Amino acid sequence: MGVLSRARAPRSSAAEGVVNDPAGYDAPGTDPMAVLLRRAGRGDQLAFERLYDALAPMVHGVVLKVVRDPSQSDEVTQEVFVELWRLAARYDTAKGSVKAWASTVAHRRAIDRVRSEQASRNRMAKDVSSVMPPHDVVVSEVESTFEQARVRHALGQLSPLQREAVELAYFGGHTYREVAVLLDAAEGTIKTRIRDGMIRLRDELGASHE
Amino acid sequence: MSDVDIHHLAAAYALDALDQRERMAFEAHYPSCEVCHADVLDFRSTLAQLADAAPVAPPASVKQGVMAEIAQTRQLSPVVPAAVADLAERRRRRQRSLSVALAAAAAVVVFAAGAVVTNNPSTPAYASALAEVLASDDSRVAELGGEAAGTVRVAWTEAGARAVLLGDGLPAAPDGQAYELWLIGPEGPVPMRVLDAATDGRIRATLDNVEGSPAAWGVTLEPSAGSPAPTGDILYLAQV
Repeated sequence: MGVLSRARAPRSSAAEGVVNDPAGYDAPGTDPMAVLLRRAGRGDQLAFERLYDALAPMVHGVVLKVVRDPSQSDEVTQEVFVELWRLAARYDTAKGSVKAWASTVAHRRAIDRVRSEQASRNRMAKDVSSVMPPHDVVVSEVESTFEQARVRHALGQLSPLQREAVELAYFGGHTYREVAVLLDAAEGTIKTRIRDGMIRLRDELGASHE
Repeated sequence: MSDVDIHHLAAAYALDALDQRERMAFEAHYPSCEVCHADVLDFRSTLAQLADAAPVAPPASVKQGVMAEIAQTRQLSPVVPAAVADLAERRRRRQRSLSVALAAAAAVVVFAAGAVVTNNPSTPAYASALAEVLASDDSRVAELGGEAAGTVRVAWTEAGARAVLLGDGLPAAPDGQAYELWLIGPEGPVPMRVLDAATDGRIRATLDNVEGSPAAWGVTLEPSAGSPAPTGDILYLAQV
């Protein structure tokens, strides 16, 4: 994270009841990105540029995972940052870290893109198979940095069925009802898998608010 | 949707995995539900870590595009502290006595005998009206699209009578102008309501006694008193 990294607190395991927050996902009060965002909200384009540098790989990563098409992903990433600029003064630390906020905006925009794309394709031709993205929505090819290993480990704690449902929803951009169709399972079953999977993931990765 | 069900939607909501109707219902619910609100924040924080695990640097052209575009993009004004304090106070009051608040809200709806427009996103009057509309068997929802910033969504019952409008992130209307909602039916556009966007860009409006069946919903900018027929461009439109 370059200039934005902050001193890492000593780590202790979640089993001891201490939540790990090495990269500023929580504790918005000490989030250095919140300071930049606040300045950006006053029209400071340089502050926003630094924020862009810090957030762009995460935003583009999630957009690319969902949208897939590189040139469309570029467009969506640009839209996301213009939206963050527009909304900068509205950011409220009580609503979570800047990273959580930015990833929420990015994912929502990416989803909007694939769903409107899907809707127009459905109108053009009722070819369901053409709108289903490939099934290989796995968080793989991660580099061996510590954070990525941590997330990979956390994902590994999910049951294969939970993980599949969460990934089809988050990276596949499907609603839980669509996931149920894809996996040929009852909607209630998928809703439960998604919920249990997210709770497990939260417990593994840690997420607390003050 | 039962009460039990809605508390279980936080994970799917954070994943953007709800369909539009459930999303609206959940958005009406969770700001005033302590458990769901905390769940949404938790899950978003968790997902940010998931998102951050597969970073990909965008091409330099994206950054150039962003910097060029923000240089000519107006930013939304912040929410003024008074509104925040007011909201927090209302929340505390609601927590003290939800039933009293709901009863009062119901009374307001009856007393107004037409429509209640409110700019508080978690006001029970709008939330309960929305829950009622969405619970009805013939409910419909539409997201109005357009070039303008922000989103406008409408939920209504096929049998008519009631509609709820949610606007988010709307730019402030220019001085002397206001947004106006139109029900576009076989006879053309019927004026529904002049809408005042709050400082935070939100509109929450409940419309009762809606007559006619919409072929489309539209929103235009009009003189602040409203117009009998649209004079501005259609900023947001959904055909239904």
